[in-house]
Amino acid sequence: MIVFLAKDKLPALLSELNEMLEVVAPVRIGNDTAFATWVGQPIDFEKNPQISPTEFLLPQREVLFKYIQHSGRYVFEEVEPKSKLILGMRPCDLNAVKVLDKIFGTEPFDKLYFRRRRSAILAVLNCSKPEETCFCSHLGAGPECIDGFDLLFTELDSGYLIESGSSVGMLILKEHSDLFQEVKSVYLAEKNERISKAKETLNSRPNLSKDKIMGALETADWESMGNNCLSCGGCTFVCPICHCFNILDLGVPDGERLRCRDSCILSGFSRMAGGVNPRKSAGERIRNWYFDKFQFIPENTGLLGCVGCGRCISVCLASMDRWSLKVPR
Amino acid sequence: MDKVLTTCVYCGCGCGLFLHVEDGRIVGVSPSPMHPMSKGRLCIKGWLAGDFVSHPDRLKFPMVRREDRFARVSWDEAISIIKRKFREISDKSGPDSLGVLTSAKGTNEENYLLAKLARAGLKTNNVDHVARLCHAPTVVGLGYAFGSGAMTNPISSLAHADVILIVGSNTAEQHPLVASYILEAKANGAKLIVADPRKVQLADLADLHLKPKPGSDVAWINAFLNVIIQDGLINERFIIERTEGFEAVKQSVSVYTPELAESISGVNAQDLRKAAIIFGSAERCAIVYAMGITQHIAGTDNVQALANLSLATGNIGLDGTGLYPLRGHQNVQGSCDMGALPEFYPGYQKVSDAREKFQQAWGTDLPDRPGLTALEMMAAAENGNLKGLLVVGENPVISFPDTYRIKNALNLLDFLMVMDIFPTETTELADVVLPCASFAEKNGTFTSTERRVQRVRSAVAPPGEAKEEWRVINELICQLGIASCYSGPEEIMAEIASVTPIYGGIDYGRLDVNGIHWPCPDRNHDGTPILHNERFPINRARFRPVEYIDPYELINDDYPLILTTGRSLYHFHTGTMTRRTSLLDREVPVPFVEINSDDALAMGIRNGQRIIVETRRGQLFLDARITADISEGTIFVPFHFTEAPANVLTNWALDSQSKISELKVSAARIRRPEDDRFSG
Amino acid sequence: MSDYIPMQAEIIDIDIESSNTYLISLKILEDIDFCYRPGQFVMVSVFGLGECPISITSSPTRKTLQLCVRRAGRITNGIMDCLVGDIIGIRGPCGNGFPLEIMKKNIIIAGGGSGFATLRSLVNYIVDQRSKFGNVAVAYGARTRRDLYFMQEYKGWQQAGVDVGITVDIGDESWKGDIGLVTSLIDKFKLPQGSAAICGPPIMINAVATKLMDRGFDHSDIFVSLERHMKCGVGKCEHCMIGPYHACKDGPVFSYDKVKKLL
Repeated sequence: MIVFLAKDKLPALLSELNEMLEVVAPVRIGNDTAFATWVGQPIDFEKNPQISPTEFLLPQREVLFKYIQHSGRYVFEEVEPKSKLILGMRPCDLNAVKVLDKIFGTEPFDKLYFRRRRSAILAVLNCSKPEETCFCSHLGAGPECIDGFDLLFTELDSGYLIESGSSVGMLILKEHSDLFQEVKSVYLAEKNERISKAKETLNSRPNLSKDKIMGALETADWESMGNNCLSCGGCTFVCPICHCFNILDLGVPDGERLRCRDSCILSGFSRMAGGVNPRKSAGERIRNWYFDKFQFIPENTGLLGCVGCGRCISVCLASMDRWSLKVPR
Repeated sequence: MDKVLTTCVYCGCGCGLFLHVEDGRIVGVSPSPMHPMSKGRLCIKGWLAGDFVSHPDRLKFPMVRREDRFARVSWDEAISIIKRKFREISDKSGPDSLGVLTSAKGTNEENYLLAKLARAGLKTNNVDHVARLCHAPTVVGLGYAFGSGAMTNPISSLAHADVILIVGSNTAEQHPLVASYILEAKANGAKLIVADPRKVQLADLADLHLKPKPGSDVAWINAFLNVIIQDGLINERFIIERTEGFEAVKQSVSVYTPELAESISGVNAQDLRKAAIIFGSAERCAIVYAMGITQHIAGTDNVQALANLSLATGNIGLDGTGLYPLRGHQNVQGSCDMGALPEFYPGYQKVSDAREKFQQAWGTDLPDRPGLTALEMMAAAENGNLKGLLVVGENPVISFPDTYRIKNALNLLDFLMVMDIFPTETTELADVVLPCASFAEKNGTFTSTERRVQRVRSAVAPPGEAKEEWRVINELICQLGIASCYSGPEEIMAEIASVTPIYGGIDYGRLDVNGIHWPCPDRNHDGTPILHNERFPINRARFRPVEYIDPYELINDDYPLILTTGRSLYHFHTGTMTRRTSLLDREVPVPFVEINSDDALAMGIRNGQRIIVETRRGQLFLDARITADISEGTIFVPFHFTEAPANVLTNWALDSQSKISELKVSAARIRRPEDDRFSG
Repeated sequence: MSDYIPMQAEIIDIDIESSNTYLISLKILEDIDFCYRPGQFVMVSVFGLGECPISITSSPTRKTLQLCVRRAGRITNGIMDCLVGDIIGIRGPCGNGFPLEIMKKNIIIAGGGSGFATLRSLVNYIVDQRSKFGNVAVAYGARTRRDLYFMQEYKGWQQAGVDVGITVDIGDESWKGDIGLVTSLIDKFKLPQGSAAICGPPIMINAVATKLMDRGFDHSDIFVSLERHMKCGVGKCEHCMIGPYHACKDGPVFSYDKVKKLL
């Protein structure tokens, strides 16, 4: 099913949806654009936010369960996630969700992840405005979304084309049909034109295909990269596929066991209690980060561990060229 | 999920970040991509800045000591006890038997109110804060040389320098965002010269690494300037048009040959000459410095030596040049600006000059007697002259030199009141403990090291009965009979702006998301990113000759090693926040001492071995970290750890000009526990 | 219920194995048949301190679940501070364990230091079903005599027809046995070709595996149990990554040919 929504009708649609579930969308906060709960703020589809909406599926910090001591024994409580509609997720991030689904879906199945995943409706936005650091098209992860969405938005001059990609998506389109208009063929032409333009922009950039990057991995000077690295962990915190987490307890005798994001760039990540560390140097840890994305994750899931969103480039504190893997000297 | 834009709580960089809030709790942090300085980047502490906020250890209720334990009391009761105690002490021993230590972690508004509480409420100028132990020499030194004791340029200016000289700053670990601009400059072709007894990360990437012995800076900096003068690399026009006193400096440095400097500081004369020529020949040079320069009995002279170097080469007032004292706390700049210093009212207006003005503004008599600095207050507590102390968001037991002496001094007080967010080694000694709001729970402003005044925004409610400090201080001021009823921080800032010329144009509406660099004299002024570009506040900048003096403690046969202290990337100050942040504590979970590998070999010490580090004041058991990255004869201990507080070892020796103590040099020795068996 | 919620177990006995190691016996307080195999581990919780992996030291052929806990960090300290009757959390069993179904009947078991804890499960498993196995030898080395685990069991193993060799790095007057590396013990065994199970520090694993390969063992018949920092125990959190493998899920037991390049 495919419909057209005039630009000025978007808030009305979101308000109606908001009555049933929490709507998460890219909104303006100060000069920035970030995904947050929509409560009527202006939507901003111009920029792809630095923090991927995958944080709503695998939060930075979530309660695994509460433990409560009760006459010597413990009672455990879990928290149910709220249903959400995530609007404006771009194709790169949707591809990241596909990788996360595989990782958390392999045995043993991660129930907590899928409780959030199943309660989230993904309304993806075809990407007509790639950021300067984007290279998704070289890795087959954008700018156009083909499948895996519940709803797919394409921004046009006067409104949005909205396609459904699942029964939930179709239901939403049917339920709010009074807001939509019929799709004219010029709209479809405009969609194609916008996407080809985005593709053109992306393809005109230096080639960062898998083979090219794999080649760079073979010759990279990991030690120099390690010497430049300021150990901020930014690359791991913005990557929509990075999913390393730590588990910790807060509170005695009652408290919470939390799952918090972690970073393989930190030396404590792999260091064992006795002090032995299989990845001692910063260089070894950076190398492991790259090989995980281009070799280990593909071996384990069949999907590439990088979607070319370019966030790790702009977040890097050291002046590292993260993808030619060269360090200024 | 709501995302609240605010300013980071850790170092002085002042990065913009979002706190992610869900169901009234902080569930994440992310950088602000449009922040003018941090541009969507953070260091590891920043990325984890939300973690400690909801830690179960947070102080939640006012508490009063009843014999040897604390009892929970109501706010009203706590406030009335404080009021009564302050009155009693003041009546019996005079107002100067009271003192206030404010917090470099508090907002500008809170620091302003605390300084007002001390002066207008308690009638004493005994108000100081931790800047005394970090950048007091900068305030005094650059105040004299340039007429303004603050960083001259914005951080981003570093990216445009041709040469960057980094002295006594482990920038990559302590100010990672500053380091990012230094790395950017380097990528653009800038030359990097690092002077540090340790091979810190940037030293490894530098073109030249000079390794002065701790406490020898004046010697090698004078020689550095001498080479520049000898080689005719000074900027004569700048010297003539904009400065005074050059001849005396020229004269005084002429005896400091690189060879003499080498004999004092250990810096290779050849390297020194090379570095001076690189610096002198470049067009735009920046000088970055931190505690390695200031925490000495010659701290103020060290700062002046660097100022002399900047002035002689004309590296002031332009993009890519300047002097960059890096401030350690997110609001230590603001705390100084707000007059949390005994000698200054807000905006560095001297107590001796501006008393009349503030009497009028605050509608009460103000004391004219000079106030005590932080360590002078501790000394006064020791000899019974100081009887009551209010400590806000500071942990002197761990952060001040000579822990045992500090503890003893605090124990001698009749009344110690501490406001903080976590129980600390100092709250343990208190008579009244009040629970405060963390940075995530209050509104206000912080002023970063680059003089950028920026907003702090409340994201969640404080835990339990904890309150924002400004409310509590406001209440105390009222109780002491001074009219003080602010509706909130915005109104306090309006008052600050009205009495503080450099903050004259600061207004919450104008700060928005970018903040404003002071001086900003009025509402139509855009702020001043680069200072001194046309003139100095004192018109002509002042050269002043400085001579090398020995550090207070010299090594000898009994104490053959130089102990220097500092921080780690992963921890902050006394660790109250970072050690409650799981990933940070995991990175550096235990205290350690760095020892040069040759020294360790000679002493038969293995890596990881538990050894005893001793000075004349105390001893610590620490795990040895053996490294070639520290000079021979020098050892390094970070001071974050309560289980092995480095300041047990350090001394009180004060710089006579700025009253900072020499935290960077103590004479020390090392023993292996097994050696004790033989020594009997 | 989520996979992260542990079962509750009561500590029913604590034995002191060495100055820094306790042998803790547990009773699981849930109505569940706790099945496991030698070489697997459990995630142990002390609520308020957290969770860490501890290898199972008992054999599934015996009734009581036992864990060998060595003082190494905050959480292990917390476990060791517990008293009989205290409740801790258990998640698992985790990991693959030794692949007895593909291992040969002749088995050499080599352990170094605390790594021997997980091998005791295998030794007792074999001893209890001795007729199913062929030639079996145990080679175990520790730093000093005081660091040796399970000393009272060696005799029983020998009586069951298992060759037992014990060595220490540093001998003293009370030590009458071998001094030296575990590899030197292997020379003493007349071991026909078969499978091997090794656990210990990487340097010891490599030395023993090399020695066995010299003696004609195939590298795919040598199984090593690896130690890594672990958090989730179910292959998601990535702390225990060894190349493409997760030590907690694909391991901790790997055939030597798979991991020798990654050690």
